[in-house]
Amino acid sequence: MFAPGGLTRANYRLLDQDIQALGAQALADRQKTLERSFLLQGITFTVYGAGSTTERIIPTDLFPRIIPAAEWAKIEAGLIQRLAALNLFLADIYGDQRILADGVVPRDLILGSPAYRRQMKHLFVPNGAYVNVCGSDLIRDTHGEFLVLEDNLRVPSGVSYMLANRDAARRTFPHTFREARVRSVERYPDLLLSTLKSMADRSNPQVVVLTPGVYNSAYYEHAYLARLMGVPLVEGRDLAVHDNLVYMRTTAGLRRVDVIYRRVDDDFVDPLAFRSDSALGVAGLFNAYRAGQVTICNAPGTGVADDKAVYAYVPAIIRYYLDQDAILPNVKTFLCRERAELSHVLANLDSLVVKAVGASGGYGMLVGPHASAVEREAFAEQLRANPDNYIAQPTIQLSTAPCLVDGRIEPRHVDLRPFILSGEKVVVTPGALTRVALRRGSLVVNSSQGGGSKDTWVLAGQDGDAP
Amino acid sequence: MMLARVADSLYWLGRYAERAEHLSRLAVVMLNAALDQTDAAAARIALAAVGQPPLDGGEALDAAKLLVLDRNNSISAVSSLASARENARQIRDQITTESWERLNILYLRATGVGAEAAFASDPADFLQRIIADLHQFKGAAEATMSHGDGWRFMLTGVYIERAQLIARLLKVCFDEATPVDDHVALVGLLRMACALEPYLRAYTADIDARNILEFLMFDQDFPRSVRFSTERMQECLDHLSGGHEPGRHDPLRLAGRLNAKLAYADIDEVETGGAGALLTAVSAECSAIHAAIWETFVAYPLETRLPA
Repeated sequence: MFAPGGLTRANYRLLDQDIQALGAQALADRQKTLERSFLLQGITFTVYGAGSTTERIIPTDLFPRIIPAAEWAKIEAGLIQRLAALNLFLADIYGDQRILADGVVPRDLILGSPAYRRQMKHLFVPNGAYVNVCGSDLIRDTHGEFLVLEDNLRVPSGVSYMLANRDAARRTFPHTFREARVRSVERYPDLLLSTLKSMADRSNPQVVVLTPGVYNSAYYEHAYLARLMGVPLVEGRDLAVHDNLVYMRTTAGLRRVDVIYRRVDDDFVDPLAFRSDSALGVAGLFNAYRAGQVTICNAPGTGVADDKAVYAYVPAIIRYYLDQDAILPNVKTFLCRERAELSHVLANLDSLVVKAVGASGGYGMLVGPHASAVEREAFAEQLRANPDNYIAQPTIQLSTAPCLVDGRIEPRHVDLRPFILSGEKVVVTPGALTRVALRRGSLVVNSSQGGGSKDTWVLAGQDGDAP
Repeated sequence: MMLARVADSLYWLGRYAERAEHLSRLAVVMLNAALDQTDAAAARIALAAVGQPPLDGGEALDAAKLLVLDRNNSISAVSSLASARENARQIRDQITTESWERLNILYLRATGVGAEAAFASDPADFLQRIIADLHQFKGAAEATMSHGDGWRFMLTGVYIERAQLIARLLKVCFDEATPVDDHVALVGLLRMACALEPYLRAYTADIDARNILEFLMFDQDFPRSVRFSTERMQECLDHLSGGHEPGRHDPLRLAGRLNAKLAYADIDEVETGGAGALLTAVSAECSAIHAAIWETFVAYPLETRLPA
């Protein structure tokens, strides 16, 4: 919000005036109203504890984050470029594997990845769109430059918060919202629907959203998207496969299903093709998919391309398929599988963050600057024993944004998750989920670990982007 | 067109919402009876009417707690509300935001941290609010949901539950060795069926067991009579069955038969033969319709229902 030297950045000036005018008490009241409205709408995630379950709202901060048109234009172009390259990459590694033959990406890294699905080999995917819904995580570094931290190509979530936060922020700062010419995110559900429809080969296709069920922590979002798209929200038990055709059980008998926007992991799609102990999936679904009678979105096996080690190759992947430099840079990443990089990492353990390739959610990770000498030595041992399993990155200071915490306005670290749709066309919704690390100084923005979110306003440019 | 699982949840949502309302009302009437010291009799009727054994001591407040707040009692009002809301949550995409929010607010208040204290400080007020909130929920649903198949499954649930609850209440009052006949108890019965004012309008202040039985069994306009409920049930199932020829185990055929039985019954015969036989038949038929709905719309075998 503030430029170096403490001046308010131009894009925040209106909001700043609004905040000053409202004053502390009015802001606190609005924060309360907002939280209550989320609870009443049931915008909650479920926390399972011993013997009891509670529903919590994801803490939402009142102040929107504002991104000027020029910055957004670069983000948008960068995301489209990146997803185009990743889709080509997926088509290649599940096809002829040219990129592996050409040695740009190591063969063992891909074929040995637990997220690689042999079952997808040579399977036709409409539009070459393996990833139909992508939610990349971006961060802003000390120079104000946006970097990609992670590509989420499997089952990214959070888009319902983007929409709910927008509703809330618009009501909180109606004046600023009108004046600032904020671009609309409201079309996300119908763009998602047309993306999904473009993945079917029958006209007037039946689209469904597949959820693991009401006990899933993101169930609210599944129901929300189904409702806004006007399509059925199904569970595995609602679907059945007969002669390679997929049906849903309705009160009037069985109905054909053409496109499944699945919000379950690969492993739980079809017990016959993937995990045989899964009760969530639909037996025979993958065969129907292979036979081209149904489309699963995102395609199974996309996780191989958002692996932490493959991430390091994405700039090379973009160059290989598109012959372009990456518009949005990566965070500098050292691959411990490379001998030279491993010795660099071992020599600089005290300033690096080391992550296990297959792990997520903060497990198997060393934050060098915060670790003791003993911990670092123990980790170095593991690194030398199994270097392939690790990558390292410099410790990055996430940028901060002002948040209302206990009645005071304080800086908190944030990241940015925009949503990209890809079917017949690639569309980036002009908005995003800004995730907030609510504890002072914390860099962890995950909702399971005390993270919150705030609305993100992308401003319309001079040339008249659709508002 | 709707998912079988969704239809099932809507049906149960209707049943549970109706049950929560009925239990709350029984408890209110019981508590109010304490004011003129007839609460022991009222508690006996209320508990028996929902299949609960009588309480030792028979304090109306304890009985009310059991019927309303006890989460371990699976039919209590809060248990029913929790089940209604859980069913609604599973089909959140199928009901309108307006109706969901009414139900969710009600659930949060009736089960939240302040609930016990609110009940303790003014139990009757607490219960009246639950009932009023349930009316709001039904009103919001009526006013905002499409009145298509989903709506009809929910209504079917409401009316099956209502027919069974009222039949059971009447059975407790009129099918025993000592049928209820004193004035206070009969007025209590009318209140438990939310029928006092409509009854007075129909029969004037002539509080008479036979008239009450006739009113609660056969009145065509009063929404809580058994006859009214079975008629709505038949209407809904008629639409839901989509004009198919009713089969042997078809819920529509069963509902039509039950409705005819009530439509052509004669109050004099019922009175002389004892209301018990007819009331038992109503309960049994409702159970059969319930099972037939499951078989026909939800748990049918795949092979028989492939699209042509």
